[in-house]
Amino acid sequence: MSTPALCAAGLSKHFGRVRALDDCTFDLPEGRVIALVGPNGAGKSTLLSLASGLIRPTAGSISVHGTPVRGRMHPDVAYLAQNRPLYPDFTVREVIQAVGAMNERWSQPRVEEVLDMLAGVDRDAKVRALSAGARTQVAIALALGRLPKVLLLDEPLSDLDPLARDETLRIVMTEVADRGTTVLMSSHLLSDLSEVCDHLLLVVEGQVRLNGDVEDVLAEHRVLVGPRDDESAVSGVVVSASRAERQATLLVRGADPVPAGWVADRPDLESLVVGYLRAARERAAARR
Amino acid sequence: MVDGQAPVLTEGLGKKYRRGWALRDCTLRVPENRVVALVGPNGAGKSTLMGLVTGLVKPTAGEIAVFGDVPNGRGLHPAVAFLAQQKPLYPQFTVAETLRFGQRTNPTWDQEYAEGLVRRAQVPLTAKVGTLSGGQRTRVALALALGKRPRLLLLDEPLADLDPLARESVLRNLVEESRRQGITVLLSSHVLAELEGVCDHLVLLANGQVRVAGDVDALLDRHVLLVGPPEGPLPLPASSVIDARRTAEGQEVLVPASLAGGAPGWRQLRPRLGHLALGYMRDASREVAA
Amino acid sequence: MIRVVWRQQRAQLITMLAVFVVGAAALLAVRASMVSYLDGHALGNCVAIGIRADGGCGNDVVQSFQDIWFDRMKVGQLFVLALPVLVGLFGGAPLFARELEQGTHVLAFTQSVSRIRWMSSKIAVAAAPALVVVVALQLLVEWWVGAAGKIGPLASGPYFYATFGTSGLAPVAYTLFAFSLGMFVGAASRRTLVAMTVTLAVTVVLRYALSSLQKFLVSAQRIVSDDPSVSKVEPGSLTVFGGYLDANGNVVPNANSAVMNCGSKGDAPVTDTATCYRDHGLVKWFADVVPAEAAGTVHLVEAAIYLGLAVVLVLATGWAVRRQA
Repeated sequence: MSTPALCAAGLSKHFGRVRALDDCTFDLPEGRVIALVGPNGAGKSTLLSLASGLIRPTAGSISVHGTPVRGRMHPDVAYLAQNRPLYPDFTVREVIQAVGAMNERWSQPRVEEVLDMLAGVDRDAKVRALSAGARTQVAIALALGRLPKVLLLDEPLSDLDPLARDETLRIVMTEVADRGTTVLMSSHLLSDLSEVCDHLLLVVEGQVRLNGDVEDVLAEHRVLVGPRDDESAVSGVVVSASRAERQATLLVRGADPVPAGWVADRPDLESLVVGYLRAARERAAARR
Repeated sequence: MVDGQAPVLTEGLGKKYRRGWALRDCTLRVPENRVVALVGPNGAGKSTLMGLVTGLVKPTAGEIAVFGDVPNGRGLHPAVAFLAQQKPLYPQFTVAETLRFGQRTNPTWDQEYAEGLVRRAQVPLTAKVGTLSGGQRTRVALALALGKRPRLLLLDEPLADLDPLARESVLRNLVEESRRQGITVLLSSHVLAELEGVCDHLVLLANGQVRVAGDVDALLDRHVLLVGPPEGPLPLPASSVIDARRTAEGQEVLVPASLAGGAPGWRQLRPRLGHLALGYMRDASREVAA
Repeated sequence: MIRVVWRQQRAQLITMLAVFVVGAAALLAVRASMVSYLDGHALGNCVAIGIRADGGCGNDVVQSFQDIWFDRMKVGQLFVLALPVLVGLFGGAPLFARELEQGTHVLAFTQSVSRIRWMSSKIAVAAAPALVVVVALQLLVEWWVGAAGKIGPLASGPYFYATFGTSGLAPVAYTLFAFSLGMFVGAASRRTLVAMTVTLAVTVVLRYALSSLQKFLVSAQRIVSDDPSVSKVEPGSLTVFGGYLDANGNVVPNANSAVMNCGSKGDAPVTDTATCYRDHGLVKWFADVVPAEAAGTVHLVEAAIYLGLAVVLVLATGWAVRRQA
């Protein structure tokens, strides 16, 4: 059993009274593309910041390939932050040079290769003049220049047009296939994620709700559609429910037999995640 | 005269900036009471087109008419509402004050309707805008736009930065209201998967030109997605193929339906909106590279 | 890392260089102009001996020179006095605050360069040229003011605030302090405006406080005059404390009433103040002074205080930069 790429034990991060992450324990396998999903404010960015060493945990620990992350960037990890930090009045060329100067292990050819794959970035343009999509592309290329073993991407697809998203996902896939890189990416675009991800980490309200192979997780759940007044017949854990006039659609966890009058189907990644998000939102609303 | 009252009608419309033509030869008719998806890569001309419709940008060539009137620089057409991507709301205003702002700046404002929209979104009227979540803020911005009872609603990337649940609810709300009130919606978005089932008309821009425009169902009927083995040649000559993708599992080739008969042994699927749009966009980007 | 930081600060450094070149050229021109005035009016002698009734350097002769040039020289000195604060405000305060505000520090923090190395590079590239410019301008102004010798500001002695603060180690010490303060507050608060405001306020207050305490920085020497009516304070020295001694050599606590009694009253002239004082128990006059020659030591002590604070602030900046939210 190889060492997990990422290992968290009792990981917590509190900002004053806000508990961004609460006692999270999980292992993530290497060489996979792991989707980090959850509602906004659930702790996804916090988790990625902790894994990169940008911030320190309030309690617990997190380690990458066996080495604990202690307030500094692990040399095998590369991080794409949500705000894509780049120096605004540098040109693209100068930023590449600058980041190269800040790294021991650096492959300029790899950066150029990735930038060429993503169309349309003018090397002599000033960073502040780049579109949001171009900034993301430059930042991804810089992250890959570190030749990382673990790639942490915070919303890498959110500023990109469909073409650029397609290309970016392709780059991520080749990176994993060719170099065995582990990719942990957070995104709201579930349809895109479902095409590339083989592992799922679902974080809701600072806690890990699901962690596993996508196929396994989906196999563990069912979407049951049946008469609304017969809901009690359904056994297993009901994650969330949406009810129309006479019909109820339930997302259920468990392999229990399907009661008569109900139709069961395997959920796709989107309906699974949306089901958990809906449950979280209802809980939050009930608390207020 | 029926055409003269189309929500948007353009003829050879173009806009040239210093760096080149952002939009060229754009001849379009946006039909009434539809939800129109405006898609295309960055820099394709989507924001330019929106700017031309709202009157914020003046054409360099060609003509444009919104409900028969030519947009001038003196503010939005009274029947048109525009929701920019940044959803400009004042964070220190409460929701009620935001609606009051809408009331004071729009002669056609319907306060009861706007308040109803906000209430149905479960957003308290007394909350400060800055404290709302992304989804709630979008719903308030939408109420601000719909409150003036427009006949044409333009939305620039309204779903960016929203989580899947919020996106679903905003989109559902938008579609419901537009169907109920008979509003034409022109919505630019990068997320194609969600537009399926929501949009019934597609305008696809690439490299400043209209590549595809028409009813979604009709367009999907006119194309076929051929699926075949991962290795091996294309089923049709390259000039007949709109786009081809090779993955580990197989090849996916987008072709016009009329030519699909010439590809025996390949599975024929009706393409999804996403396949179609991505295929045309990739085709256009290859033209530039060539 | 140095190259990166240099490229980041390139615009500011070029501006500073431009300002320096303009300032230096102006100072050189102004000095040349003053020297030719002095030569033209044959005031060379007065420069050496100061305003004296004898020797042809009476008030009237020197007055016109001072009318034209004295205030200008004061401005030059005030400019050098202000430089440390300006460096603190525009060099120190934004150094970390701006990057932290804009979030671009995350770029450097997510590469394989330590935060301390990042911090040191930024400090070195920003502070070194600023210090060179401050010292160069200080020397140029000193050279200018020195040309007027004892008929210029230097006549007030080395402890006069404008002269003291613009000579020796003072400007460098003040600059290092203001710079370190600015960068620490910037790194800790992550807000440029806060850093600038605090730097300005604290630097001004501290400078004022330490100026007032200047005379206590070194131990004073006691000089005694056997004639109680005659002061023996040398011009240019700093009086810490003064008064009268009684016959036993102790300080007379309330000499004021005696002094007033011995002053001239209306029509009655006082013939012998000294005897009058002695009659009232004021046997000798004394003063605890810091002589002009000790100015160098006072500079050293004051600089040590500012530099000590600067070191603490630099260490504190290191803490602030490594601290993580």
